[in-house]
Amino acid sequence: MRHTKRAVTAALLSTVALALVGCSAETGASDNNSASCEPADGDVTLTFTSWIPGIEDAVAIWNEQNPEIQVEVQTGPSGNAGTYQNFFNQLEAGNAPDLGQIEYDALPNFRVQDGLEDLAACADVVAAEDQFVDWTWGQVTLGTDDEVYGVPQDQGPMGLFYRSDLFEQNGIEVPATWEEYKAAAEKIRALGGYITNFSQTDINQFAGFVWQADGQWFQNDGDAWTVDLTGEESTKVADYWQELIANDLVSTYPAWTDEWNNAYNSGEVWSWNSAVWGANSIASGAPDTSGNWSVALAPQWNEGDATAGNWGGSSVAVFKGTEHLYEAAKFALWLNTSEEGLTSLNQTAQIYPATTAGLELPVLKEGVEFYGGQAIYDVFAEAATQVNPDFVWGPTMTQTYADVADGFKAAASGDGTLLDALTKGQESTISTLEAQSIPVAE
Amino acid sequence: MTAPVTTPAAGRAGPTGTDASPTRTRRRLQHPGAIIAFVAPFGLLFLLFYLVPIGYAVYQSLLIVEREGTFGEATEVFGGLTQYALVFQSEPFWSSVGRMLMFGVVQVPIMLGLALLFALLLDSPLLRGKKFFRLAFFVPYAVPGVIAAIMWGFLFSPNLSPFQALTREVDFLSADLVLWSIANVVTWVFVGYNMLIIYSSLLAIPADVYEAAVLDGAGQARIAWSIKIPLVRPALILTAIFSIIGTLQLLAEPQVFRSFSSAVTSTYTPNMTIYATSAIPNVNLAAAFSVVLAVATFVLSFTFLRITRRKAEA
Repeated sequence: MRHTKRAVTAALLSTVALALVGCSAETGASDNNSASCEPADGDVTLTFTSWIPGIEDAVAIWNEQNPEIQVEVQTGPSGNAGTYQNFFNQLEAGNAPDLGQIEYDALPNFRVQDGLEDLAACADVVAAEDQFVDWTWGQVTLGTDDEVYGVPQDQGPMGLFYRSDLFEQNGIEVPATWEEYKAAAEKIRALGGYITNFSQTDINQFAGFVWQADGQWFQNDGDAWTVDLTGEESTKVADYWQELIANDLVSTYPAWTDEWNNAYNSGEVWSWNSAVWGANSIASGAPDTSGNWSVALAPQWNEGDATAGNWGGSSVAVFKGTEHLYEAAKFALWLNTSEEGLTSLNQTAQIYPATTAGLELPVLKEGVEFYGGQAIYDVFAEAATQVNPDFVWGPTMTQTYADVADGFKAAASGDGTLLDALTKGQESTISTLEAQSIPVAE
Repeated sequence: MTAPVTTPAAGRAGPTGTDASPTRTRRRLQHPGAIIAFVAPFGLLFLLFYLVPIGYAVYQSLLIVEREGTFGEATEVFGGLTQYALVFQSEPFWSSVGRMLMFGVVQVPIMLGLALLFALLLDSPLLRGKKFFRLAFFVPYAVPGVIAAIMWGFLFSPNLSPFQALTREVDFLSADLVLWSIANVVTWVFVGYNMLIIYSSLLAIPADVYEAAVLDGAGQARIAWSIKIPLVRPALILTAIFSIIGTLQLLAEPQVFRSFSSAVTSTYTPNMTIYATSAIPNVNLAAAFSVVLAVATFVLSFTFLRITRRKAEA
């Protein structure tokens, strides 16, 4: 009995050891095999994971036209809701798909985990730079001159959605500056409404405000990251919204909930500083207000400025370990630059293209009924040209967002301020980077 | 290690003709092939889905990542206890552990007290409709934890609750109360489950013990206090240990409550901290958190077992 027991234990331990060796050997091998951008000999099947609704339609068009390069598409929850975590796990396990949907703010995270192929190896991708709106290209090169880590798909230039009927009836002018916006907020509050809802959880919306104010949360000089969530501009933006919250001039419903939809649908909240894709969120969340909305350029910090922030937007990236870099890049380019691809994406998911030609799509020139027939996309096309091309995202945005959101939620219920939340987010981001040996400049 | 499973009913010897003579234990190594064949499926699955993952987690927790430059290639090297040092410095993790201990100290006794009360009521000869109540108490356990949390989330919500008269006055989702609202959900789900364990242990008490008690003149309350409760002590200890483990590993309910309450942060419970860390992704640190949490759970459960056993012996 004794012997059996010992033998079994030994057998177990050696199996565990074998399994461990197996695992570590695998990670070692997958580290350095940068694929070259050469077409494959035979037929190729690519895998692509995305959360864009109806992306299957665009892929079907491609599959029809390219029998030798078939794409299998898988859909999942949006990035931060689970797909990024899946990607990271798949990369760790060595079975990531060939292509994946990745938002601009998550690209550095995948890059720092060494999960992305450099598409600069593909001449077609490099040649396509001119087709894209400047700042979107800046988002996929991650601040380098000669590296490309994704093909831009869409963008989220921000504007001001507002209830033109209510503003007009009450003689309130559409605010052109944030100062005027605050004055309008006071008038609207006196009338029983709120000018807008401050989202405690959409930290990327707040980042869009900072982006517009010409702030920078991260800098990367190649040797080290600079983390600066509490810089001059961020502080200005945080203080501004803090004042609105403290004076009860904005509501603080949790975003994307039934309560939030109801606040817009009932006319309690009058405007929303959001990105181009927000056009559909309002239309579906506040159906009773159809025809009463308009879109204007975002309020400015200084009168006469022409700046816009950006909220969202994503790219199609190619994961490390793919055997078909050439074909994957070819598909990503087709999906995001061809008129067929962009039209299909726009029809099924109202994707707002990242290419300059895409902004001229006929469907983006039409008036939109929900907005009283206004050609709202013209406004966003103008905003797209005003976005600072040099905004840099940090390498652990999921964590930064989560930590700042914890603080913003507290601030919204009167515990601390937005600036406190940013200070805490700053500290936790730095310690998160240091825990992974990612160099941080002091 | 390979003790034979004794069937509770000796008369149930199967038609295979296995003889149940007292010498059986002496001869158990007679069929090593059979023993291995029967144990192998369990052993293999236990190895693959239990020991290997634990071993891998421990291994991962001993590694650190090294890289040069901001986007330099990462290499995993042996880092000894570096990750564990970070774990012990992590303020959010330890405050979440503290939060769960406070939760457990209050919630576990309440839950087990209710479970014991219900079990005693079901076992009492005075109660009618036992089958109905047994099912009624157990039904919440059949509701998946996430669904239960969503349901209670709506019940507690100030603007969506059917009991707005109450929820507009008392904010059950505020920073002060949300922990106890979650405790309420957990209690609701698990009382029936624990009740069933205690109840089945009550059913195993031989009838002659009661007969003797009745002859001695004990009433139902006295029987419950002096006979039933002491005799279901092992079941109570078992459910208490399950509950301690469950408390430290709480994840689904608070995760769901995040969308109802702004007071539930991304690091509210230890498991949520681990989950958030693995989403960074920092698998090595997440593995170290997991190992520490597992050891803490183990230590806590065994301390509890020790204390209760010592008391029983005293």
